[in-house]
Amino acid sequence: MKLNKIILSFVSALVILFSTSIASFAKVVGDKIILGAAISLTGKYSSNGVHTQNGYNMAVDRINSMGGVKVGGKTYKFDIIYYDDESNPKRAAQLAERLISQDGVEFMLGPYSSGLTKAIAPVTEKYGVPMVEANGASRSLFTKGYKYLFAVLAPANLYLDVAIETAVELNGGKPVRIAQAFEQDAFSQDVRLGILDAAERTGSKIIIDDKLPKELNDMAATLVKVKQMKPDVLVVSGHTKGALTAIRQIAEMKVDVPMLAMTHCDAAKLSKQHGKNSQYALCASQWHKSLTYKDDFFKDGMTYAADFEKEFGYDPPYQSAESSAALLVFKDAFERANSFDQKKVRDALAATNMQTFYGNIKFAPGGQNVDKPMVLFQVMCDASGSCENKVVAPLKWASAKLIHPIPKWSER
Amino acid sequence: MNKNFILYAAILIFGLAAPFLFPAFKVQLSILCVLIVLATTWNIQGGEMGYNSFGNILFYGLGMYLCASVQVGMFFPLAEWTESGGEKTFVHTPTQFFQGMAFGLVVAAVVPTIVAGLIGYSILGLRGHYFAICTLGLGVAAGEISGGIEIIGAGQGFTTPPFPNVGSLEARGEFFYFLSFFTLVLTFIAVRSIYSTRFKLILNAIRDNEDKAEAMGIETMKYKIIGWMISAFFCGLAGGIMGGLVGYIDSTDVAFDGREMGVFMVLMAILGGKGTLWGPIIGATIFHIFKEGFWTFFLGWQYVALGVLIVVIVIYFPEGIMGWLREKYPERFGEVVDEKDRKAQVELK
Repeated sequence: MKLNKIILSFVSALVILFSTSIASFAKVVGDKIILGAAISLTGKYSSNGVHTQNGYNMAVDRINSMGGVKVGGKTYKFDIIYYDDESNPKRAAQLAERLISQDGVEFMLGPYSSGLTKAIAPVTEKYGVPMVEANGASRSLFTKGYKYLFAVLAPANLYLDVAIETAVELNGGKPVRIAQAFEQDAFSQDVRLGILDAAERTGSKIIIDDKLPKELNDMAATLVKVKQMKPDVLVVSGHTKGALTAIRQIAEMKVDVPMLAMTHCDAAKLSKQHGKNSQYALCASQWHKSLTYKDDFFKDGMTYAADFEKEFGYDPPYQSAESSAALLVFKDAFERANSFDQKKVRDALAATNMQTFYGNIKFAPGGQNVDKPMVLFQVMCDASGSCENKVVAPLKWASAKLIHPIPKWSER
Repeated sequence: MNKNFILYAAILIFGLAAPFLFPAFKVQLSILCVLIVLATTWNIQGGEMGYNSFGNILFYGLGMYLCASVQVGMFFPLAEWTESGGEKTFVHTPTQFFQGMAFGLVVAAVVPTIVAGLIGYSILGLRGHYFAICTLGLGVAAGEISGGIEIIGAGQGFTTPPFPNVGSLEARGEFFYFLSFFTLVLTFIAVRSIYSTRFKLILNAIRDNEDKAEAMGIETMKYKIIGWMISAFFCGLAGGIMGGLVGYIDSTDVAFDGREMGVFMVLMAILGGKGTLWGPIIGATIFHIFKEGFWTFFLGWQYVALGVLIVVIVIYFPEGIMGWLREKYPERFGEVVDEKDRKAQVELK
């Protein structure tokens, strides 16, 4: 009986707590600019959610320690309210609503993944809350006429079409045969659309077009087909789990394919987790530390990577870099707007034209960043078995030559 | 009767005033209404009929997709709307939006009802665990299938029409709150009137001993199917509203979300006390407050807390809160207790 009483009082205490927690924050309190963010701390995107959060935190600390944001002659510091969206769009939309209407947040940072950004964008748009997002690349985000959405990254359909073009080029300009497998989510399906476009442009044929489930841990069925039909290129996209599953099973089943193009290799820490098995994988990336962009806060990619590693203990994937860049964009816009008026900040964001360590940032009317090309890197290993990601395209930044075709497993 | 009337009037007034008393919590309140509808209708099978269904999420998801599809399809080509990267932007006028929503909700309620009849006819012959496992498969299958249908967005998801620019910023929240509250009231009235008829007794008879019920001449199959169809009707309606409220439909994470909504509706009904009218309502309310509270104050621990809650429910409230109250205060539930007899029984134990 006693326990029952305890439980009852616990529940009622919660009720009271809940009912008294009405808006205690506001956008700018004292010398703080409070941004809101729903991040996937649990669920299927949790590892990338953490990369995103680390990127945000890194930039907040750096900007705050280097003088903060100057608006109207006063100095402000950034602060972020985080919620866990559990990798669930329904939850994300609810949290956006809560951040805005209960916590009084007037400026938002994006979540991780296109699907979650798709769920949040209608909410921020409705309230006229400017959102700078770094992890929603789906093309359809930028054709909805959203006015308050700004993405520092290139749209998803541009991720891997370079790979197809490269393959055609290496094939002497003749069309190639493509096998592809994509996760059933907004981002990967957009990457797929990009491949379809590239295939049409080059006259290439798609011979396998598979869908992968969201809880991705097996794609053996696709790989059996690949073994049988011997395509020239295998394209796989399914966030971190997709990259890990593909490499694991390709190595297990000894699947030989001349070119393997993927996404999320660096977020999955492929070269660390799978070592030599991941060798020769070609990966699309928004950013690589060896690129030569510069800014005042993080200097350049190499410095950013070193600082990031010191703080969080791993090499930053592009998801972290682009998240950090989102805050640099916000700082720049606040200072140019010289105001916290949402409309003025929005207009300042739309006029952004800057370089960060992550790349140039300039928004198209749809909100996507049009000034930053994608890069392709290839996992390359030396004789001792230590592997590294080396940029192979575009040629301007290439630090290594693309190895093509991938040697057969029997010859490795 | 009089006392009940005052209670209902008070709840109704509170419900109507809630969005103005707690303007910041409109979305949570709308979701609470939807949760109560789901828990209450689940209780028709799980509680009254004794058929633990994990498949009601099928009707919820179906309603969600149907409502959004009708709302778009009535005015614009659906395939172009859902096609990713479509260059055209479609905007609903307010009239189109509300007309579409109204028709959408009708379809969202009717079609799942028919589907429930068809599926029920084929699987309600299964009993006990077999039925539960079979229905579990329904939701999972529906999620995977809908994730492959291009016209409703497939893996890309389906962005539902944005709320038109009418009234103030609060208009959208108020619209969806009153829509879901109205659905809740409708569900409550329907379920309450069903529970006061012979139909409920038949459902209880099926729960207590199906073979005996059959032997007494009750066509159990017919009543089981009708019971499930009633649930499907309201689940579909709830799904349609939820789709508009969330604004984005994803096949496995929002619509056929068996892992969350599908389990939650069972949990809420059990927490409150299955087989009672008020149990699911109390259960859903406590559950929602508990979950939201943990989300706000103990970020990162919400699922641990949820796990603990489930364990506590199963161990200490196996009959739910209503069941526990009934055991503790039987007089309040109209049961006469012979004090001497009770004491004698306690001593015997």
